[in-house]
Amino acid sequence: MTSAFFPPFWRGYRLMFPLWLGMVPFAVAYALTARSAGLSLWETQFMSLTTFAGASQFAAAGMLGAGASALGIVFTTFLLNARHLLYGLSLARQLPLSRRQRPVAAQFLTDEAYGMVIVNGPKDPAGLSFPFLLGAELSLYSIWNAATLLGSVAGAALPNPQALGVGVIFPLAFLGLLVPLLVDRISLLVALVSGLGAWGLSRVLPGGLVILLAGVGGALLGAAFLTRSQQEDAPSEGRPMKEMP
Amino acid sequence: MSLPLVLLLMWAVTYPLRLLGLSLGRLQLPPFWLNFLKFVPVSVFAALVVPDVLGSSEWARRLVGALSGGLLMWRTRHLALGILGGFAAYWLARLAGL
Repeated sequence: MTSAFFPPFWRGYRLMFPLWLGMVPFAVAYALTARSAGLSLWETQFMSLTTFAGASQFAAAGMLGAGASALGIVFTTFLLNARHLLYGLSLARQLPLSRRQRPVAAQFLTDEAYGMVIVNGPKDPAGLSFPFLLGAELSLYSIWNAATLLGSVAGAALPNPQALGVGVIFPLAFLGLLVPLLVDRISLLVALVSGLGAWGLSRVLPGGLVILLAGVGGALLGAAFLTRSQQEDAPSEGRPMKEMP
Repeated sequence: MSLPLVLLLMWAVTYPLRLLGLSLGRLQLPPFWLNFLKFVPVSVFAALVVPDVLGSSEWARRLVGALSGGLLMWRTRHLALGILGGFAAYWLARLAGL
């Protein structure tokens, strides 16, 4: 690794600090759920080290506690995490990764890292780079696993994290990423349709699948409108295409 | 099925999709699909926010927090300020008995 690696790495790492506030209670709550479902300390930690996806870890811990079938748990995990395909696709468009970087970046990819990096990466002095992405990813990985361990070991002695109302931190963080992207009527429409569509779908489908479907549906709608307006503009070369800020 | 095997299978259905997406960056795409990928952040963020607020059992307080936080972020373009302001508004609504 070159000496140019660490400055953007640490900027990526620090970028995620505001989200730690929501991450710690979430991981502690996961660990408590897993331990009460009968998972050992090592098994609880192993899931955070490998699968590393909050919502599906929660779901799996709950299902294990309820005595669900193994295949049901694995299939639920698959449904919940299929949305990560979309994050990879979207990130890879703007950040070409080498053959060696991809398998590393893939292991630590999450909703939060994707969101923060896709919006803030281009503003970094080094641009949207692998070290910046990895810093953001490992920031969450380290705190998620540390808080999992804390929850496993000290669980019973800790205050109930839900009671602190920190559940509202995550929607607020994503709202903060969304607001600056609402720059025209199409993006506003896409946000409304995706958001309300996801709310409707969430009554009948698991969360991760909802985000995948609403995410794809909303982006299709936006692409349809934008492509049509670009084609109308095409003869005169039109206005420049809107870039993500 | 043993528990360690379940944990390994959970990893096995999660990791490949993350890798697949990241590996398709050099794919040549027609304009429509380039536009599609441009809208992914907007649609995904909205899909993450709305059910988490309106679908919550404490949706009224969260709505107050989200509207206040969103307004702050729109006016100031400051993420941390928006989160803290939204969280404060959430707690005010909660203390007010909403």
